[in-house]
Amino acid sequence: MLGQVIIYTLLILVCIYYLLPLFVMVSTSLKSLDEIRTGSLIALPGDVTFAAWIKAWDSACTGVQCQGMKGYFWNSMRFVIPAVLISTAIGAINGYVLTMWRFKGSDMLFSLLMIGCFIPFQVVLLPMARTLGWLGIANTTTRLVFVHVVYGLAFTTLFFRNFYISVPEELVKAAKIDGAGFFKIFWRIILPLSIPIIVVSIIWQFTQIWNDFLFGVVFSSGERQPITVALNNLVNTSTGVKEYNVDMAAAIIAALPTLFVYVVAGKYFVRGLTAGAVKG
Amino acid sequence: MGALSIRAVRKAYGQVEILKGINIEIEAGEFLILVGPSGCGKSTLLSMIAGLDTITSGDIYIGDRLVNKLSPKDRDIAMVFQSYALYPNMTVRGNIAFGLEIRKVPKNEQDKIVQRVAQILQMEHLLDRKPSQLSGGQRQRVAMGRAIARDPTLFLFDEPLSNLDAKLRVEMRTEIKLLHQRVGKTIVYVTHDQIEAMTLGDKIAVMKAGEVQQFGTPQQVYDDPANLFVASFMGSPSMNFITCPVVSAGSGVGVQLENEGNTFVFPVNHAEPKLRSWVGKEVILGIRPEQITHKNESRVGEPHIQSANCKVELTEPTGPDTLVVIHLNGKETVCRVHPMHAKFHGERMELMFDMAKAVYFDPKTEQRLA
Repeated sequence: MLGQVIIYTLLILVCIYYLLPLFVMVSTSLKSLDEIRTGSLIALPGDVTFAAWIKAWDSACTGVQCQGMKGYFWNSMRFVIPAVLISTAIGAINGYVLTMWRFKGSDMLFSLLMIGCFIPFQVVLLPMARTLGWLGIANTTTRLVFVHVVYGLAFTTLFFRNFYISVPEELVKAAKIDGAGFFKIFWRIILPLSIPIIVVSIIWQFTQIWNDFLFGVVFSSGERQPITVALNNLVNTSTGVKEYNVDMAAAIIAALPTLFVYVVAGKYFVRGLTAGAVKG
Repeated sequence: MGALSIRAVRKAYGQVEILKGINIEIEAGEFLILVGPSGCGKSTLLSMIAGLDTITSGDIYIGDRLVNKLSPKDRDIAMVFQSYALYPNMTVRGNIAFGLEIRKVPKNEQDKIVQRVAQILQMEHLLDRKPSQLSGGQRQRVAMGRAIARDPTLFLFDEPLSNLDAKLRVEMRTEIKLLHQRVGKTIVYVTHDQIEAMTLGDKIAVMKAGEVQQFGTPQQVYDDPANLFVASFMGSPSMNFITCPVVSAGSGVGVQLENEGNTFVFPVNHAEPKLRSWVGKEVILGIRPEQITHKNESRVGEPHIQSANCKVELTEPTGPDTLVVIHLNGKETVCRVHPMHAKFHGERMELMFDMAKAVYFDPKTEQRLA
């Protein structure tokens, strides 16, 4: 009984600890600037106003431009969605080949590919810049899609490979005897089994790519910058009064899509992450 | 030209030889069993027939086509796997029709075939279920249905019954045999279970360590084993192997046995010409439990019948028979007697040995002598 009280007290404390920043962000974003100046940080907004949100979305200044976050929000969407889909698709094919169509050295290749999971962003900046120049990719969106697909491949391949290793190889053999080829087997037999791991890969990649700042700031320019870079510019704009409510609203806007993806598909995430580990 | 010819087939992974020159030939409609302990290469051989594994050297013919280089789909075969390998995302109908669909069989034709197959296997009511909603036996049946639907010239079965419980296994065994009689197709069937091998096969290839130890009908393999391994592998309870000296007995030759200090010599009769040169040396006598029974007065006096009074060490009733364990030359020996006549631990019992089917092995090479 006492043990339970302690556990629950602890859990509640930890909950508060984690949720407090979010609470402060939301409540601050709904306050007016006057109220922020006079009131306490953790007080609820006396007079709820969405002005800060509208300003953050529509007219806040990020550097010299004052058009809010909206343009950058769509910038991010424009490269995040293709990057997530392409890296997931290639990861799935890679995993399929590395488990069901093994060849001499395929395990070695997989081990080498895994090194990619441990390489920090900073290390690849210069080589990547050279590669992009060499390939002549000038368009910001294309550049970011390319960079994130390449960087994400190691992870998506790992996910799919570890998932497919628990799929019985006999399924593929049976399909081969039934007369199906490489892509037919993938499309008709393997992919329908892969929903949980596809969801995992999409959540992971979406969160990684959406939240990325470093690649965004290095490989993009001007109006085409992703939302993370824009948020940084907005918060660091030094002209005029510091508008905490607008900063908070902008930060929440920048975080909403990943939150949304997690809420919608989160239960698959936990299920999918363990699916590879336990033979199911 | 037979339905399946395997000629000098070898398989090696680097230095490791998995199959060391396999030769098997069967006729159309025959049921071939590949049997042996795990690791003997039987499944590898099946994979090579299916085209899922490459051949290091040698030739495999299906009908009169050399299939060495053909991909699985062009070999006109169907395979039933140990895990059934049903496509989990498709219904039973989808599973059966998948191969037909890939081969571009028209839709209405597909439906007809699925219906016919479902009828043969009595699973019409299961057609719209997913594999996960089926029991082990039903999955097994679907896997067979998928194979039948394609109407191939050769069926391959890879230990199809080993995932079922004992009762179901016997049922499905009968069903496979019936199916074979009904469709009359050539079947290659891999198992490690010697009872399945005996009951199902027209021909049995007993394999060990990448070699065919013996190839023949079930009765040949059982009655006339080529070596000690085959003799010990086939039959349950296993054949008794007793090391015994060969001695001269009157004008003939006999083997000398001992129980509880009593020594007796059994003439070897038909094996005499081959064992004459072994007098003074030891051989391994192989005698099956059913050839040692309680004394039956009506048979005493027949030329191959010998009897001896032995002390019983253990009795194991199985129902129809009781297994009685005695010691011969210090070796546990199982005898199969009628339950009414069985004696118990410590008692003595008059036993009758039928030496007509006794076999003899060289203790060193373990090859059959006579």
